[in-house]
Amino acid sequence: MTDITHHDTHDSHGAGHGHGEGAPQTVWHHAWTRPGWWRVLWTTPLFFGIGCGLVTLIRWAAHWDPIWKGQPITTVALVTVPVGFLVGLGGFDFWTHYAGGLPTQAEDHDSHGAKTWKDYFRINTDHKVIGVQYVVTTIIFFLIGGFFAMLFRAELAKPGDQYFNPQTFNVLVTNHAALMIFLFIIPAFAGLGNFVIPLMIGAADMAFPKLNALSYWLLPIAGVMLIVGMCTPGGGPSAGWTCYAPLCSHQPMGQIFFNMAVQWAGASSIMTALNFLVTIITMRAPGMTFWRMPLLVWANFTTSMLVVLATPFIAGSQFFVLFDRVMHTNYFESSGGGYVIGYQHIFWFYSHPAVYIMLLPGFGIISEVVSVMSRKPIFGYRLMALSLLAILVLGFSVWAHHMFVAGMAGWLRVPIMVTTLLIAVPTGIKIFSWLATLWDGKIHMNTPMLWALGFIAMFVIGGLSGIYLGSVPIDIQANQTYYIVAHIHYVLFGGSVFTIFCGIYYWFPKMTGRMYNERLGQLHFWLTFIGFNLTFFPMHYLGLRGMPRRVADYVPQFAGMNEFISIASFGLGASTLVFLYNMIWSWARGPAAGDNPWRSMTLEWQVSSPPPIFNFDEVPQVVGGPYEYGVPGARHAIFGTETPAPVLAE
Amino acid sequence: MSAVAHEHHGPPPIHYSSRIPPPLVGIFLFIGSEIMLFGSFFTVYFFDRVVNNPGTWPPLNPATGVQFERPWFVALVNTLILVTSSFTMHWASTSLKKGNRAGLCAGMVLTLLLGLTFLLTQVIEYHRIGFNTGDTAFAATFFGLTGLHGCHVFIGLLILLAMTIRSFKGHFTPEHHHGLEVGGIYWHFVDVMWIVVYVTVYIL
Repeated sequence: MTDITHHDTHDSHGAGHGHGEGAPQTVWHHAWTRPGWWRVLWTTPLFFGIGCGLVTLIRWAAHWDPIWKGQPITTVALVTVPVGFLVGLGGFDFWTHYAGGLPTQAEDHDSHGAKTWKDYFRINTDHKVIGVQYVVTTIIFFLIGGFFAMLFRAELAKPGDQYFNPQTFNVLVTNHAALMIFLFIIPAFAGLGNFVIPLMIGAADMAFPKLNALSYWLLPIAGVMLIVGMCTPGGGPSAGWTCYAPLCSHQPMGQIFFNMAVQWAGASSIMTALNFLVTIITMRAPGMTFWRMPLLVWANFTTSMLVVLATPFIAGSQFFVLFDRVMHTNYFESSGGGYVIGYQHIFWFYSHPAVYIMLLPGFGIISEVVSVMSRKPIFGYRLMALSLLAILVLGFSVWAHHMFVAGMAGWLRVPIMVTTLLIAVPTGIKIFSWLATLWDGKIHMNTPMLWALGFIAMFVIGGLSGIYLGSVPIDIQANQTYYIVAHIHYVLFGGSVFTIFCGIYYWFPKMTGRMYNERLGQLHFWLTFIGFNLTFFPMHYLGLRGMPRRVADYVPQFAGMNEFISIASFGLGASTLVFLYNMIWSWARGPAAGDNPWRSMTLEWQVSSPPPIFNFDEVPQVVGGPYEYGVPGARHAIFGTETPAPVLAE
Repeated sequence: MSAVAHEHHGPPPIHYSSRIPPPLVGIFLFIGSEIMLFGSFFTVYFFDRVVNNPGTWPPLNPATGVQFERPWFVALVNTLILVTSSFTMHWASTSLKKGNRAGLCAGMVLTLLLGLTFLLTQVIEYHRIGFNTGDTAFAATFFGLTGLHGCHVFIGLLILLAMTIRSFKGHFTPEHHHGLEVGGIYWHFVDVMWIVVYVTVYIL
């Protein structure tokens, strides 16, 4: 918490402590003790041992029998082993030095920036490096999650059991969803935000760079834990990504890995959100008032509030199911007086706001791209920001629409239906503002813009089916069918994933300094767009005809359409190869992009591509709004010794 | 900010757009997050008690057939200990701001000892309480809320320990004390949260 400022460290960086990592200064300071992968090799087993010892010691002291027991040890080891990994990597070095009263080294920025590829594989405090680490890691998990989808679509191509038994099928479905939600969409936005937010508000870095590095490294831990959990004895977790209690308390041991992975991913996202909030509140450049912030910053500000306030609830829900399993508590076991539906209430109290956590940053990206690419000020800037806040508040009041048929209190249905439908108002404000921004603009139909327009169209479809599902009578009919699957994919794929692609293409030149291939980018968009619609649109129909979701087998009357969907989904999966090829090739060989290929006004485009190590040589002075395209004489910011022009544009 | 010259040029001077320094904004937001975590434990408590067991609370212990007994008196004494530690913490930080090193160190040691007493009392209470985590939803919520709070006391103690070490080494000055302030705010939060937990779990 206290790393940002140089205040506390200031008084203590004694003489004799060198700055910069440079050559080893003392004899013991070699590879095994220096932060890094060699140290990981022994700290990780050490902390595994500590975890085992701790459990055994407590069980021995409390006279519990048997002293050596698998499930508690697994649970505790899934906490201590990642901690050991992080200790080895050096994630806690500053804080342990600080806590031990040792002289902490003054922030000398030696862990800043990336000169070689190796710098991406260590604790790096540079928000730009962390942003790239995030995006690349999440894309890897996106590919794995997508691969799982291909596998179970292959199974679903024909009725009957082909390749997987129902248990394995459920494991694949569960982990497909969990990877996509916890390890792709949410952290991908955190990655893009990490790269862009400090630049956009004119700061040199995030408020807490060391915390930022740590929160990134929790992410691969969570992902690996999830995937390892699939291969544990007894079979992986198969209770769905929602892992409803008490079903998941009686799953094989892989479920513990699942629950703990969700905890680690959640911790990562809370830490990042805290960092975003503090950065946006305290680190804005002079003149960057809240009403001059780009909408992406607004979007991440609201999202971070949601994360900070809602994510503890999923942490709670995962704790309870772990306790029910390991400590034999009765939170959700009706035989012991527990309230079964309580899990769903607590889970959805996070997981509905999580839908907005997965959408609001995307809204921000779309606002940037739509305004820049149509060369017009964003329509209704203040209302765009306020509608984000409205979604934030309303988002907390709609959780129970996931539970209309779960057996919850009947009187809760109608109020929740009303608030659910009400959320269409601020969302509608955003849609119409984008359309009004496009109106009469000078539209540039390049790849980011295609994704933005594709997003708007697809998200409207997803939003409309959401209005259907939000009304109790239709939900009772369509619940647990493929209609839900269609809806969620129109919202989270046509919505969130399209915006992530939009953001990646839009900031690719800034991140890498090189331009992606425009033709391949557009090809990727059209293949994905068509494949996406062919895959998911027929699911509306299947769902209304009554095909249940999350089932490996189905009646033969749905065979034709499922075969069609499976083939389309393979096409959709293949379209990602175009994206990968484009990204890898362009990153290595693409033409230089120039500082500001989109002629954007926001601050990140006013520095070189990729940005200099500390973003700005001088703190910029913000003098106007960020979207004044086509307004004569309008400036967003001025640099250096330029005399501030009289502010006329406001 | 950094007065040391580097071979590579450093960042431009940081411009802060808030009067409250970043560590304090951070800890307040973090406490907001913590309140929500406690909120989820209170929610499950509410479901198990009000929605699912609307009769007498605490319920009957199925093993013995009589009501669960809550050691409210021991916990009350413990509450007083923890509340006192908040005052000693406050004393420590005001001493620091006045430049009174001895007061700072004494205050930190007292806070640390009081916190440790609280935690040990809690452990002994668990040991002698006569029911275990598996005995009905009542026990689950009892151990859940008090245990979650106990974890926070434990983490708070680690932070206090670090602060105490640094106090004795003279690393805090009347001007530079964000570290102590952040740790102190967290400790006050832990104390206030205990009062809510105590009233809910032991009294109501």
